Amino acid sequence: MAASALQPLEDLDQPDFDAFAVERAMRGNHPDPYPLLERLRRQGSIHKLELHGLFSDEPDVEMSPLSHYAVLGYDACNRVLMDGETFTNKEAFQHSLGKSFGRTVTVMDGAEHERFRKVLQKAFLPKVVARWGDSLVAPVVDRLMSKFIDRGEADLITEYTHHFPFQIIYSMLLLDPDQAERFHKLAVAQLLSSAGHPQGPEATRKLGTFFAALLAQRRANPGDDLVSHLATVEVDGQYLDDDVLIAFLRQLVNAGGDTTYRATSILLTCLLNEPDLYEIVRRDRTLLPRAIEEALRWDGPVTTTFRYCQKDTEIDGVLIPEGSIVDVCLGSANRDPTKFENPNKFDINRERTVRHLSFAGGPHICVGQHLARVEMTRAMEAILDNLNNLRLDPDMPPPQIIGYVLRSPEHLYVKFDKA
Amino acid sequence: MKQWMCMNCGYTYDPEAGDATQGIEPGTAWEDLPDDWICPHCAANKESFELEED
Ligand code: HEM
Repeated sequence: MAASALQPLEDLDQPDFDAFAVERAMRGNHPDPYPLLERLRRQGSIHKLELHGLFSDEPDVEMSPLSHYAVLGYDACNRVLMDGETFTNKEAFQHSLGKSFGRTVTVMDGAEHERFRKVLQKAFLPKVVARWGDSLVAPVVDRLMSKFIDRGEADLITEYTHHFPFQIIYSMLLLDPDQAERFHKLAVAQLLSSAGHPQGPEATRKLGTFFAALLAQRRANPGDDLVSHLATVEVDGQYLDDDVLIAFLRQLVNAGGDTTYRATSILLTCLLNEPDLYEIVRRDRTLLPRAIEEALRWDGPVTTTFRYCQKDTEIDGVLIPEGSIVDVCLGSANRDPTKFENPNKFDINRERTVRHLSFAGGPHICVGQHLARVEMTRAMEAILDNLNNLRLDPDMPPPQIIGYVLRSPEHLYVKFDKA
Repeated sequence: MKQWMCMNCGYTYDPEAGDATQGIEPGTAWEDLPDDWICPHCAANKESFELEED
């Protein structure tokens, strides 16, 4: 498939606009929301409260004026997530992700959501994504690592984790690798709409123009890539609506990259903070899936998601009135001591009888969770296999996981024996 | 191996484990799950599941 036949993705009008810095400022630098969440959760699993305001000085211009209920206990969060009739997505996300991505599955409910969701999920089922480990993930992580492996030191965030899941998605879509930087920038810039930056809608529009042309090209001349598949798949004898596909592709370049990079960065931080544990996992790779799930539970990158309450509903003795925005605090649920013993401890050996909620749950549970696991596994394996005697750089600041809604460290300075 | 997978989210029902979230004992065969059993991960109904061969 000749990606070059397409017009390239158009850059922002202000090409040196630093979308990454603006996005970082928007996320804030809260070091640790968990102690306050724990105090609140002890007082009750539901509070009339907007969580954002507790952890950020910048009001969310769209969401803050609405009436919020924060849900903090595991069972209460799970109940809200599993009941997609009472607690819906559209009204909760139409002003945020709906503006950034368009008519994506995140802003659909009920039968419409189910119809599109099944087609998209089919392209990301476990047996499909398992094949991508060799074909898509390994080449990307190897290429990134080759740039620093001879140096004996690196910043594993800015040189590795921050790039690999985005680049995997570009390969999946057969996009021109020379345009990777621009895609990354516009994928991130899309989200700036909610803070009122004009570069937000501009990125949304420019990605939309590009993806519309891409869909037309692949529909005319399909290959065996994901875009060709989505462009030609038929449901009830019809192609999927272009606006839904374009919105999905916008979401994919963002949600697929931003979350996985953060989750992998947190996992690395957890392991490198405990060198003995890192060594145990390096020697016994059967422990890697446990380490991945525990990092997702202990500090999942998405601490909170949102729902809209369609009718007065009582949970744990608290009435959530119709019309409220519900802040479903996945990060708090994952540290609920009634479900996870000694929940603040990062413990890869803990019993896994209760699933964590880091990919949410219910009808909108993450489409990409199986891919995220493959990506995290391969990225970690490449590190465990190739960076000998890996340790935190004692002369540099230690990694600090920061942020509220999306968490991760910004740097992870390491040393290792030169190859 | 044959297993039932939820086409809405990719969850696989494991008869050996059952499903504690809905009081399903370990060792319960797929056929013996009640009709109103739902996917414990995404809440889809039994009809959303398909038999997958590994
Ligand atoms: C560790 C990495 C990831 C985490 C923690 C994560 C987390 C989440 C969460 C919490 C949701 C639910 C949002 C809601 O409440 O409605 C979600 C939805 C979604 N995720 Fe992920 N995600 C990750 C990776 C990915 C990847 C790799 C993809 C790429 C396919 C992806 C695509 C999506 C999509 C399309 C949805 C919307 C699903 C729907 O509304 O039906 N995610 N993700």
